[in-house]
Amino acid sequence: MPGGGHCPDCGSTELVEDSHYSQSQLVCSDCGCVVTEGVLTTTFSDEGNLREVTYSRSTGENDQVSRSQQRGLRRVRDLCRVLQLPSTFEDTAVAYYQQAYRHSGIRAARLQKKEVLVGCCVLITCRQHNWPLTMGTVCALLYADLDVFSGTYMQIVKLLGLDVPSLCLADLVKTYCSSFRLFQASPSVPAKYVEDKEKMLSRTLQLVELADETWLVTGRHPLPVITAATFLAWQSLQPLHRLTCSLARFCKLANVDLPYPASSRLQELLSVLLRMAERLAWLQVLKLDKRSVVKHIGDLLQHRHTLVRKAFRDGTAEMEAGEKELRGRCQGPEQGKEEVASSSLNLPEGKRPASPTPLLPPCMLKPPKRICPPPPVSTVTGDENISDSEIEQYLRTPQEIKDFEKAQAARQAARSVSNPP
Amino acid sequence: MAPTLCSALDRVEAEAQGRDLRGPCPAPSRPDPQLGPASPFAPAGLINGPCATRAQSGSAAAQLAWALPPSRLSALLTVGPPPMEEEQTYLELYLDQCAAQDDLTPPGSPLLSPVVPNDGYIPNTSNSETVFNSHLQEVKGASGHFSSVDLSFLPDELTQESKDQSVIRSKQDIEENCKTQSQQSRLSLPREQDMGLGLISDSALSKSHSQAYPGDADSVQPSPEKPNSTPLMSITPMTPVTPVSECSGIVPQLQNIVSTVNLACKLDLKKIALHAKNAEYNPKRFAAVIMRIREPRTTALIFSSGKMVCTGAKSEEQSRLAARKYARVVQKLGFPARFLDFKIQNMVGSCDVRFPIRLEGLVLTHQQFSSYEPELFPGLIYRMVKPRIVLLIFVSGKVVLTGAKERSEIYEAFENIYPILKGFKKA
Repeated sequence: MPGGGHCPDCGSTELVEDSHYSQSQLVCSDCGCVVTEGVLTTTFSDEGNLREVTYSRSTGENDQVSRSQQRGLRRVRDLCRVLQLPSTFEDTAVAYYQQAYRHSGIRAARLQKKEVLVGCCVLITCRQHNWPLTMGTVCALLYADLDVFSGTYMQIVKLLGLDVPSLCLADLVKTYCSSFRLFQASPSVPAKYVEDKEKMLSRTLQLVELADETWLVTGRHPLPVITAATFLAWQSLQPLHRLTCSLARFCKLANVDLPYPASSRLQELLSVLLRMAERLAWLQVLKLDKRSVVKHIGDLLQHRHTLVRKAFRDGTAEMEAGEKELRGRCQGPEQGKEEVASSSLNLPEGKRPASPTPLLPPCMLKPPKRICPPPPVSTVTGDENISDSEIEQYLRTPQEIKDFEKAQAARQAARSVSNPP
Repeated sequence: MAPTLCSALDRVEAEAQGRDLRGPCPAPSRPDPQLGPASPFAPAGLINGPCATRAQSGSAAAQLAWALPPSRLSALLTVGPPPMEEEQTYLELYLDQCAAQDDLTPPGSPLLSPVVPNDGYIPNTSNSETVFNSHLQEVKGASGHFSSVDLSFLPDELTQESKDQSVIRSKQDIEENCKTQSQQSRLSLPREQDMGLGLISDSALSKSHSQAYPGDADSVQPSPEKPNSTPLMSITPMTPVTPVSECSGIVPQLQNIVSTVNLACKLDLKKIALHAKNAEYNPKRFAAVIMRIREPRTTALIFSSGKMVCTGAKSEEQSRLAARKYARVVQKLGFPARFLDFKIQNMVGSCDVRFPIRLEGLVLTHQQFSSYEPELFPGLIYRMVKPRIVLLIFVSGKVVLTGAKERSEIYEAFENIYPILKGFKKA
C-alpha cells in the first residue's frame, strides 16, 4: 500500500489500513504488527508511518491561504533577503502583499502581475523607510517589464490608499556611488583612476545638489543625473590624468551600466558650471570650455550658492516683465518669451560675461518646436444642416465597390496561395 | 480682563494639546540650522519648515485671545464642550475674519478630501501638517488645530485696534514672523538649500530682524506689506474670495472631447467598411469600424450594436456635429440610424502657467492628491476631489486637465490649482 511507511518489526512495506472496532489502525500484513493506531496521540515513530492527509483536511496556518498567495509571500521574503533588507521590512512587505491579495482584482490577476506585485510591495516598503531602491533594480531582479511594473505599482498604491514618499536622493547617491568599483586598484582600474570614496561621495552629493537647484533633476529619472555627477566628481578630483577618459569608459571601468540619458545630463551640468564659472573672478579671465571647466569644479562647488545666485536671474520674474513690456506690441506670449530670450543673447559675449540667463528647466530654455497658433474661434452650434454632398464624398460609388471587392478577392487568393507552402 | 481671558484660553488649549503655552515658541522644536549639507534635498526644507510652523502655533492661541473682541470670547468660553468643538469655533471666527485676506482657496475648499481629519480650511498647511507629522518624530500632543490656522491677516487688524498696548508690540513681532513663516511654508519646501534654511530658521525662530543677510532680506518684506494691505482690509472686509483670486488670466484650451451616441439599430460592419471610403475594419484586431471625417476633424468607432464613440473634436458643439455626420453616413448606407442619447463622456484641456514648478515640493505639500514618480513619468498626477478632475502638471508649467464632463469643471479645476502652483513660483 502506498504511504511510505514500513513495519518497524519486519520492515515490509505491506501496510494495510484496518480498523479494530471503531479505531482505525495501520497493520503490517506480513507480521501483524500494529504500526499506528488511533489519531488522538502519536509518537514520533508513529508519525513517520502516518498517511498523507488531504490538503483540505489539514490544519495549519496555511489553511486560509491559497497556494498562489503562499508562493507570492515566499517570493516577497526571498526578494527581501536578496536585497539584504532588515527583517522588519520583510514583515511589512508581507503584510502589504496579504492586504493586496484581499482584493478580488488582484486575486484574479495573471501570474505575471502577481509576480510584479511582489516587487511593488517590496518597493513600497523600502520607500516608506527611505531605503533607496529604484524601480529599475526591482524590475531587473524580477525580470519584469517596466511598463507592467508601473501599471501594477500605480494600481496597488491607489487600491491600498498608501502614502508613498518620494525616492530619497541623498541616500540613492550614497548607495549608487558605493557601487562604483573605483576605490581599489585592480587589473582593469589603473592606479591613477582609483579614488577615495569619501571625497568622491561628498563631491557627487554637492554636484547633485547643484543639479537639483538648477532644475536638472525635476521631472527626470534621478539615476542618470547621479551618474553624470559621479563622473564629473571623479574627473575633477584628478583632472590631469582623467580628462581623457570618456563617460562610457568610466562606467565600464567602474562596472556600472551607463544609463542612456546620462550623457545629455552631463552636458547640461557642464553648461551650468560654465555659467557659474563666468561669475567667478579668477576664472573670468580664462576662456573656459566644457573640458577645461572640469579642472575648476572644486572652486565652483565651494562657492556654488553665491555663484548660482549671480549667474542665474529668476526666470519667472524676467519672463513676466518681458511679457508686460511687449504685450502692447506683440501678440501671443510665445513671441514675448522669444524676445526676452533673444535680448539676453544679444549682449556681447567674450568682452564681459553675458547677463544672467534665466534659471529655468532645460525644456523651457529650448525654443518651442512648433508654435501652435491659437485655434480659430469656431461658431459651430452642433445643429447645423449637413449637406448631402458632404456625406456623399465619403461613400464609394458602385463601380468603386466592385473594384474594391475584386481587389480584395485577389489579395485573399494571393495570400492563400502563399500560405500553405 | 484680557490677561484672565488669555490665561483661561491658554488653559483650555493646554488641556487640549497637553502642553504649556506660556511665552513664545517652545525651544525644543527649534531645528538645527546646520542641517543643510547633511540632507541637501527636499527633506532639508521639510525638516526646518514645519518645525517653525508648529513652533509658532503655540503662541497663536495666545494672540487669538487678544485678537477677538470680548463679546465673542465670552461666547467661546463655555467650559464643558470638548476642546475639539472649541477649536472649531475658533476656526470659524478666523474664517469670518480672514475670508477676504485668504489668498488660498476659500474655506470649505473643493480641494479638501474627506480624509483630512482637521477642519483644515487651509488645505496647504493642514496637508503639510499631516505630512510633517508622519515624517517628524518630535510632534508633541495631538496635531493641534491651531497649527493649521493661517495668521496672515492678523498683523493688520491688530495694529489698528491695539496700537497703544505695548504687550501687543512684542506679539506683532511674533506675528510678523508667523506671517512670513506661513507665507514661506506655503512656498516650496525644497528651496535653495542654505537660503531656505537661513530664511526660515533665522527669521522665524530667533525673532530678531538683525540677523545675517538672508534674515534681513526677508524681514524687510513684511513691513512695506503692512501699510499697503491695511487699506485693502478696511475696504473689503467681507468680499468673497473668488474675484480676488480668479485673476489667473489663463483660460485652458479644450483639446479633445470624447462623446458617445446610440444609433439604435444593428449594423453590418462589413457592409459599412465596403461602402464607405473613410472606414477601416479589421475584425481580428478590433471589433469596430474606425471612421474618420475631415470637418470637424474627428474619428469615430462604430460598433455592430449600433453604439458609436466620437473622439477628436475641440468643442462640445463640434463633437455633436461630427457625431451627427457619422450618423448621416450610416443612414446613407441604408441603415435606419437614429441619434439617441448623445453624451459627452470626457473632456481634455491644456494650458500653460508660464513658470517652472517644483514638483517635488508640490508632492510634499499635497501628498493626498499628488502622485509624482519621476522614474515612471515626468509629470505630477494631481487628482482633484472637487471637481473630480485629474491634472498632469509638468515642470515647464504646462498643465493638462482631463476627466471632465463639463467645460466649467475644467475651468474650475484650473482656478483651484493656479494659486497652489503660484505658491511654488520662486518670488
